[in-house]
Amino acid sequence: MSAPLDSVRVLELTDESADYCGRLLAGLGADVVKVEPPDGAPSRHIGPFLDDEPGPDRSLCFWADNVGKRSVVVDDDAEVVALCGSADVLVHTLRPAQAEARGLGFAALHELAPSLVVCAVTPFGSDGPWADYLADDLVLMALGGSMAACGYGPGADGVYDTPPLASHGDQAWRTASTYAAIAVLGALAWRTVSGAGQLIDVSAHECSASMTEWHLMTYLCSGGVHRRGPHPTLTASDGRQVAALNPDFLGPHVFAGMLEMLEREGVAGPLSDPAFADPVHRAGNYREVWRALKRLADKHDGETLYELGQSAGLPWGVIRSPDEVLDDRHLRARGHFVELEHPELGRSMVYAGAPFLAHASPWVMERRPPLLGEHTDEVRAQWAGR
Amino acid sequence: MALEGLRILDFTRLGFGAQATLICGCLGAEVIRVESTRFPDAIRVMPPFVPEPGERGEAFGAATLANATGAASPNRGGIFYKYNTGGKKSITVNARHPRGLDLLKDLVAHSDVVTESFAAGTLDRWGLSYEVMRAIRPDLIYVSMCGFGHEGPDTDHVTMGPTAQALTGLTFIVGLPDRPPAGWSFSYLDHVGGYLGAIAILAGAMHRGRTGEGQHIDVSQLEPATTLSGALVLDALVNNRPSRRPGFPTGNRRAHPPSGPSGAYRAQGDDKWVVVSCRTQQHWEALVEVMGRPPWAADPRFATVAGRAEHADDLDAHVQAWTSERDRYDVMDALQRAGVPAGAVQDAADRLERDPQLAARGHYTMLGNAEVAPLPLEGVPFRMSATPPHTGGVLHRGPPCLGEDNTAVLAGVLGMSADEIAALEADGALS
Repeated sequence: MSAPLDSVRVLELTDESADYCGRLLAGLGADVVKVEPPDGAPSRHIGPFLDDEPGPDRSLCFWADNVGKRSVVVDDDAEVVALCGSADVLVHTLRPAQAEARGLGFAALHELAPSLVVCAVTPFGSDGPWADYLADDLVLMALGGSMAACGYGPGADGVYDTPPLASHGDQAWRTASTYAAIAVLGALAWRTVSGAGQLIDVSAHECSASMTEWHLMTYLCSGGVHRRGPHPTLTASDGRQVAALNPDFLGPHVFAGMLEMLEREGVAGPLSDPAFADPVHRAGNYREVWRALKRLADKHDGETLYELGQSAGLPWGVIRSPDEVLDDRHLRARGHFVELEHPELGRSMVYAGAPFLAHASPWVMERRPPLLGEHTDEVRAQWAGR
Repeated sequence: MALEGLRILDFTRLGFGAQATLICGCLGAEVIRVESTRFPDAIRVMPPFVPEPGERGEAFGAATLANATGAASPNRGGIFYKYNTGGKKSITVNARHPRGLDLLKDLVAHSDVVTESFAAGTLDRWGLSYEVMRAIRPDLIYVSMCGFGHEGPDTDHVTMGPTAQALTGLTFIVGLPDRPPAGWSFSYLDHVGGYLGAIAILAGAMHRGRTGEGQHIDVSQLEPATTLSGALVLDALVNNRPSRRPGFPTGNRRAHPPSGPSGAYRAQGDDKWVVVSCRTQQHWEALVEVMGRPPWAADPRFATVAGRAEHADDLDAHVQAWTSERDRYDVMDALQRAGVPAGAVQDAADRLERDPQLAARGHYTMLGNAEVAPLPLEGVPFRMSATPPHTGGVLHRGPPCLGEDNTAVLAGVLGMSADEIAALEADGALS
């Protein structure tokens, strides 16, 4: 059994915006080494912290995106450059001028190590009128278009009285990090053919701008823009919400399964009228469908309602908080959650594992996040001479 | 291009799977979409439709898969043009026709990768299970992409992007305190699932390159989502701070790192907004300077990051009083010039027509086909110096018309003669 990136060396010089890229590459089997200053990478100083006590080895933000990596503390840019000479890939979050200043400009690195793949993840990319602008995830979610389409709908007067919303979890950065991993894989594939490295230039803004599904097409086709407002949800007897898309979205056949379930539950009401078999009649009287679904929701808790809907072929999903997902029987059966020992704490932590099942080359999930500088000597010894 | 020479036989439909193969196409892979004239991909035939030049079409609002029938053409469905760049080719094959099935098997023999996004078990019923395909092509990389994947107790569950978003915690983490979740109004997970589908394809190719071994990689729409909430799960497990608690989620405010003022503020115009996000003392001082040092900013409650976070409601009201009289782009540019992170809340029209950065980066590529005039379309949002990706793939072409490449693929890949192709067509195998 081997991993796709076995023996591929990735050097990582990132802040919180692109730590996730290295996590993905580590899962594919790469030896990902995080280069940190003596006080630790920026994400070590972002909370929440273990027991709410700050400290470079206590940041849960750091843990979440750095599991699977090794850590070296290097205070000298010349040594970072030397490590690049032993690496296959460098992922960094430096703007072009910052990279140059540290001797990590692509031209210099390419001369030193012609097969090195360099991937720069920056807010706006290496050039353009906004190249020097500053951004955090919130700014990128605004500019990219997700926020304009996320939030609550307007009040009865048609006026939006609440702001557009961005998701927690830094989705623009995560999308940029994921695209960075894709580009690195593409560059490595090319390197096996050509032997040549190259520079990858990831603009997180462009990444964020390309993840709003059909919004661009709606504008191009109709001149309309998509406004914000939640998907329809049912409130179950325990107060939990269940996302309940209009089943007609899937095709007219779905209604029959839904009606059967509603009749079994004794809440079908007027939907048993054969007129409702006609999708056009249904669309015109969707309020009746919704009323029946609300009667159903009043009878069951959220998880049961979800299963009832699914048993009738409806694309329903109970809205869970991130930690509630740990109880999902399907993900557990797929072996998704992995417990890793943190020996220095005398306890283990649960991490989400493989993003897909590849039985011939399983996702690698063995190392807990590194302590600051834990592998400095080890990496120096192993990487010296290549 | 990076993936030149990699051939993907692509059975994906809708968004999730097609996102994965469009990425590979933009990187140079040859993507051959296998389609059907009788059961076309729904996004080919549902609104919004690409209008004739100079016309305006219907918006997406009224679209359902149920009313997707009756479209005048399978080549005008707008959403198809979002997910099928990358120079994808299109062939139409009737898998339920014996000669159609044989044709698909021949194509499998000539392909490196097979991708699909049907419900689990669909290809098996056609007679194209992984076992069958592996017997034809032992080193085949087969990547299936469907909501719950092909393994596990709930593989029969039906999902759309919003379903998976609800189940994996993503819907929950968009919202204001003590209100029901607002969630995402679109299928963000169709994209994310597709990104991981692309990674699966690339990883499978890499593994095969090293070992000669193919495999089935089972991509679901759930697993790619579980890492997207960052530290929230660990915070629940380690600090006993579950996300379902009073006051959470916190709208646009973030506790980590502490910051403020930070959020979306109303700007001049109808429902126009601008994000200002001060993460350091320096950002705050620069903001105060740009606002012209208003007296309220000297309030000692606002002197430190901790104080600004604690009194965020008052602070935000002051900041919004300033932004609401100004154009969102003016606020953004003035603050950015002073070193404060800020950005206009843009919609799709803004991104296309006002955003100078996307324009300068060449984010959009004008591509069309025999039926549709060139449109500004998107590919992959990164550059590569040695192997530049292209939104039109190796051949720099637009999304394909249905069945456009029947002859080219059957002749070019399988070496079939014009007579053989005509016979298949007459027999109904190419429908």
